[in-house]
Formats: sequence, C-alpha cells, structure tokens
Amino acid sequence: MAEQMDEWGQLLTAANTGDSRAYALFLQAVAPVMRGIVRAKGAGLGEAACEDVVQEVLLAIHLKRHTWDPSAPVRPWLYAIARYKVVDAFRSRGRRVDLPIEDFADDLAAEAGPDPTEAADMAKMIGMLDGRSAQIVRKIGLEGASVAETGQLLTMSEGAVRVALHRALKTLAVLRERHVK
Amino acid sequence: MKTDDLIRALAADTRPERPLWALLMLGLLPALAFAVGVVWATLGFRVDLATALVTPVSAARIVLTGALGIVGMRLALLLARPEGRGRARFWPLAVVGAVALGLLAWAYVTIPPEARQMAVVGKTMTTCLVMIPLLSILPVTSILYALRQGATTVPALAGAVAGLAGGGMSAAIYALHCSEDSPLFYVTWYGLSILGVTLVATVLGARLLRW
Repeated sequence: MAEQMDEWGQLLTAANTGDSRAYALFLQAVAPVMRGIVRAKGAGLGEAACEDVVQEVLLAIHLKRHTWDPSAPVRPWLYAIARYKVVDAFRSRGRRVDLPIEDFADDLAAEAGPDPTEAADMAKMIGMLDGRSAQIVRKIGLEGASVAETGQLLTMSEGAVRVALHRALKTLAVLRERHVK
Repeated sequence: MKTDDLIRALAADTRPERPLWALLMLGLLPALAFAVGVVWATLGFRVDLATALVTPVSAARIVLTGALGIVGMRLALLLARPEGRGRARFWPLAVVGAVALGLLAWAYVTIPPEARQMAVVGKTMTTCLVMIPLLSILPVTSILYALRQGATTVPALAGAVAGLAGGGMSAAIYALHCSEDSPLFYVTWYGLSILGVTLVATVLGARLLRW
C-alpha cells in the first residue's frame, strides 16, 4: 500500500511539471478507487448517476491539483478532496451521505470492467460551453486528438488551445454547480 | 461522456498553476504596502515612532498584532489545502490571546483606579474602531482570494482565519500612527476591531470559499 502511495506521488509530481502521460496514468489509477467509493455510498442512484459523481470528483481533483504539497503524502490530500466533493454531489442530488475518511481504501476499487457506464452530466455541460471550447474538449477527450492536432484543425496555436482547454474545464466545474443546484 | 474520455481531456491540460503561497503574496504584499501608505498619507506616523518601537509596552501591540497576522496567514495557507483541517494547530492563536489578556490585566492592576476609565476610553477610540476595519479590507480580500483558488474543506473557519490574519496585520499598521500606549486602550479596541473583521470574514468565507 505504501508502495502504491509513492507511485501515485511520483505520477502526480511528474504531472504537475507538465508530464501529461504521467498525469493520465495517475487519473486512471485514481478513478476506479473513486468509483468504488461512490458506488458503495450511492447504491440506488444507478450506475450512470454514480459515474457522473465520479467525473465531478475527477474534475475537482484536476482543478485543485496545485493545492497538493509534494512533501506531503498524496492519499490524505486526494481523499479529502474526494470526500468533500462526494458529499457535495450527493447533497445536490438530495441525498445525505456520511463519509468518514476511514471509508477510503484501495480495496474499494470497483471492478467496472474495461468499459464503465457512460455518464450524462458532463456531456450536457460541454454542450453549454461556447462552440469553440466545446469543440476543443470533444476533440481531445472523445476523439483523442492531441493538442497540436486540435490547434491545426481550429487554426489556433498550441498555446491558445491549452489556454482555452484550461478555461473550458474551469467553466465546466462552475456550470456543474449551477446546473445541479 | 465516458470517464476515460474525460481523463484524456484533463490530462491534456498540464498548464502549471502558481502555488498558493505565491498567489497569496502577490495580492497581500501590495495590499499591506497600500495600507501603510494610507496611514502615512492620511493620519501620519506618530512622531515618536522610533522611541515607541523600543518601549516594550508600546511595541507589544505591534508584536502581538503582527504575530496574530503571521500565525493567521500560516493557518490560512494550511486550511487552503483540503487535508489542512486535520493538520492545523490553533494553540499559537491562544497564546497571542492569552498574552494580550495578561497585558490587559497587568495594566488594570498597576494603573490607579481613578485613571482607569480615561485610559480605556483614550482619545482616539473612534478612529481606531473605524480605521482598523477599513485598513483590513484589501488584506482580507487578498487572503480570501488566495483561499478561493485553494480547496478548503472548512469554508467558515478558513474565512475566520483570514479575518484574524488581515485584521491583525492592519492593526499592526495602524499602530504606526496610534500613540495610545496603554494596554487598557489597545487590547480593548484593537481587539474589538480585529474581532469585528474576523466576524465579517467568517460570514464571507462561509459563502465564498465553497467549491
């Protein structure tokens, strides 16, 4: 377990210096653990709604990743964000959950198979973005285009695509707040 | 949208963000410099400032309010982290409060009873109660702004700490002007001003620091 913590820490450290491959690995490692927690707490919500919450948590982790202090262990930081966001997400769906920090454990990782359920909220909110931002998020996310390819397609510089993507993700979090509440 | 697709989009966004302390300093240092400028330009520094700074009972209020400011700022930076609540230690705040109350008691005992009321009321109570909150507006705002970029899981508490920090720093700056040297005056009125600022910041924090 301690070994895995170090591995997550290494991945996130690399991610915070701009290594997008390490960052993807980090998020892919974290997602099943979050899914396990959310499903355990949200039985009855349905798989798609649970996946919505998982995505909200991942988005929050992304937007707050600079609050991690690299000299501190990743796990308490990560679980604190997840706990805050899961409670918030359930509350805005009219449910109260009690989520003590001890409930977080790796063995809760859900065996979702290779293809977890599609979630709906995020796609709806991407639809609320302005046209170009939505296009950038879809190109990179759904179609797996690189930043460079997306820039060529939209005749934007790579830097401009990065700025637009960053803004779009921030806006998604704000839209989520308004949309669900 | 599938979660793997979202992860791809998130992973492509690798623009580094400023660490929180850098973000805080970027706003707070100019805010404090501006507050010093305002005191200097509108009220003026006290003429015997150099002497006051080496007179213990007078320097004590700058030390105490400054300590409150620094302890509060460190706590704010800690509470800006999601897991900070479990790591925050509040006893330094209690130490500052206890020393201030100790000074108050000492001054109460040592001053002749007939002079007490005059010492408490002083001559500039109103200026003090108005100026410290006014001076604290920008510093508290800059701390709250930095906290908003953070991820506190205790919004009201983080707001309170921001108020203590900004209020303490502003009181220390106001003390450059104020020449009321009795702890009966400054512990009372500086203390009330800082508490007022803290109360407002707590309410603001509870509303603004959610994410």
